Amino acid sequence: MMAGSALRRLMAEYKQLTVNPPEGILAGPVNEENFFEWEALITGPEGTCFEGGVFPAKLVFPPDYPLSPPKMQFTCEIFHPNIYSDGRVCISILHAPGDDPMGYESSAERWSPVQSVEKILLSVVSMLAEPNDESGANVDAAKMWRENRTEFEKIAQRLVRKTLDLPV
Amino acid sequence: MRAVGIVLISVALTCAVIGNAYYQKKQFYPSVVYITKSNPSMAVIYVQGLILVLMANTFLRKIFFGNLRAAEFEHLMEKLWYAVTEACLAFTVFRDDFSPKFIALFTLLLFLKSFHWLAEDRIDYMERSPVITWLFHVRVGTLLGILFSINLAMFNYAYTSTIAKGASVQLVFGFEYALLLTVVLNINVKYILHTIDLQRDNPWDNKPVFLLYTELIIGLVKVTLYIAFVAIMVKIYTLPLFTFRPMYYTMRNFKKAFHDIVMSRRAIRNMNTLYPNATPEELAAADNVCIICREEMVAASKKLPCNHIFHTACLRSWFQRQQTCPTCRLNILRPTIMQTRQQNQAQPPAAPAPQPIPAQGPNPQPGPAPFQLPAFWANFPPPPPPTPTPGTPGASQQPGPSSTSSTSQTPSFQSLGPGSIPIFAPSFHPIIPLPPVPIPPTNLTALSEEELRMMEGNLRQAVEARIETLKRVQLLLDAGIAMMSQYQTVTTIANIPLSMSTTSLKNENSSSKMSNPMTKIGENSQTSTSQNHKSNYSNKMKASTSKTVAEASTESIAESSITSTNEAVATTSRATSEILSEQELLRRRRLEKCAQGDPSID
Repeated sequence: MMAGSALRRLMAEYKQLTVNPPEGILAGPVNEENFFEWEALITGPEGTCFEGGVFPAKLVFPPDYPLSPPKMQFTCEIFHPNIYSDGRVCISILHAPGDDPMGYESSAERWSPVQSVEKILLSVVSMLAEPNDESGANVDAAKMWRENRTEFEKIAQRLVRKTLDLPV
Repeated sequence: MRAVGIVLISVALTCAVIGNAYYQKKQFYPSVVYITKSNPSMAVIYVQGLILVLMANTFLRKIFFGNLRAAEFEHLMEKLWYAVTEACLAFTVFRDDFSPKFIALFTLLLFLKSFHWLAEDRIDYMERSPVITWLFHVRVGTLLGILFSINLAMFNYAYTSTIAKGASVQLVFGFEYALLLTVVLNINVKYILHTIDLQRDNPWDNKPVFLLYTELIIGLVKVTLYIAFVAIMVKIYTLPLFTFRPMYYTMRNFKKAFHDIVMSRRAIRNMNTLYPNATPEELAAADNVCIICREEMVAASKKLPCNHIFHTACLRSWFQRQQTCPTCRLNILRPTIMQTRQQNQAQPPAAPAPQPIPAQGPNPQPGPAPFQLPAFWANFPPPPPPTPTPGTPGASQQPGPSSTSSTSQTPSFQSLGPGSIPIFAPSFHPIIPLPPVPIPPTNLTALSEEELRMMEGNLRQAVEARIETLKRVQLLLDAGIAMMSQYQTVTTIANIPLSMSTTSLKNENSSSKMSNPMTKIGENSQTSTSQNHKSNYSNKMKASTSKTVAEASTESIAESSITSTNEAVATTSRATSEILSEQELLRRRRLEKCAQGDPSID
């Protein structure tokens, strides 16, 4: 029973995340009625220009999870080479093998049922720390990251303050 | 609020139009004639009609679906947009039939379609929603029944009118309703499968299989319908452009469903027949948790060739997507292919296999070689018996490295050691089984985007070919070192004066030191071989490097000084850096292209 197994697995993952939460990450279903839509809070990795920020994102799981990957989208404004301007995250762990939007990923780093919400969020944290400027989901950000790092960091810092509701 | 405002305005306008007409004509019939003759009045009436239809749609939607989820609404709008644009394209073909009746029929079609889309989404959502109420079943049941009968009636109407009056726009409607019938059938089957699944207490393993087959059959029916429709349209009217987008997607889905079924069947058959059930000990050793569903493995579980263990049911559903191990991505359809390929790879080197063993000639021990061969030696054929040719050790050794490291070296063989040629009777180069290495031109900046991309696609093959050759060079070097140590033992056994054995010792050192630079030389010469043979530059390069390889090997074994080797390394490393800078240039260009690339690619 696909539905049941997806639901059970999501419940198991939620339990695991609440019992043993990884550092800097908070995730759970938006409401207990629907386990297929989650909210996550990611803190910007230390030592990077995203440090101190708390970035909200939403995760939408397909009915055949974990056979297909969930979709992840930041719900705050974020400026990063691998995040589309509407917040969708472009990271290889979220792509099923076979579809390759940027045409560069090896299947070894793609989605497989072995992955989990925790691994996705950890990958996103490390993606925040080390953008992959070879696949530009946000071309402006990728260009700025490569050519004008200080300006990039300034924008990132401004958005960090924005997520914290601090005056910019 | 805005919607209410629009409705109110529209109603007010309609009232005004009707009131105006009645005020002017005083009687029912003349007023109607007046309204239909006046374009502004008709526009108002049309808008009012559209709003009424939308209201009816919303009302029925509330009855059958309750509140829509955000995703469902989004899908609805997206599909509506496509349907409207495609209908506009269809109008161009049938502009002669353009009439209020046509508009009405078209609106009805869209109206019905919207319910099909919503029903599809709702049924898919069944899998995800934890609670399914009886209300859901009643709603879906009635809706599917109503949609099915309307579709059938409309199809029948279109069919009879086409038969009676000949081809008209009814052809398109008939075709659309036939398609909608398949959609209703598909939804129905899914609904029944999901319902059965929900009634069961334990997981129903076969449901995905049924779903896949349903998709395949429905896909086949749809593809046939599309092809028939296009054929008829081309014959009677013109190419129906408006069907191409849905037709393309249908065909793609059908192909994917077909491919999925074939591959998953093969993978599942492999799983059932080739892979063993996991034993309790193995389960205990492997955490006892299936990493796909994160549940304990008490039920049947299978062990893949890579020793990863999963539930049989979980594996089966995964294999319907991908035929790889979820953990290590071992392709479970490929092991047999890989084995044969390994055999193929092991075979070809046999013919030109360089023979370092003949150097045993002066060795008094006729038995097998006393040294341990490196592990990868196993890929090569067993060492042939010592040849009687007692050529000088140096001469018999030479062609080994040079024959592997460069592609066409026959002239240099002859110039280097004519005595050795009989041993290497097949003097063709040993790179036959490898894919051809692409030959990049000297000026990379002059290439177009496509050409660069093409080279990129071949790059991997080229690298593989190089690595393969390097491995062989390394192998030969190892053999050389082993042989030198053998010489040493021979000299100690034969009690040759000390001075001699020290030279050989020194030589051994030099040759082992050589092994690293030698590998570099091999790589370099291989890279240069991959360069354009026609270009003078690389031709010279090749000549020089292959000569250095040959020289280096000759000299090292002919107990020469290390300085010449250093020289060789120096020249070759300079050449390497040149090639590297060219590659760097290419890479940078690619990156730039990437940065300028279309941001809309998703």
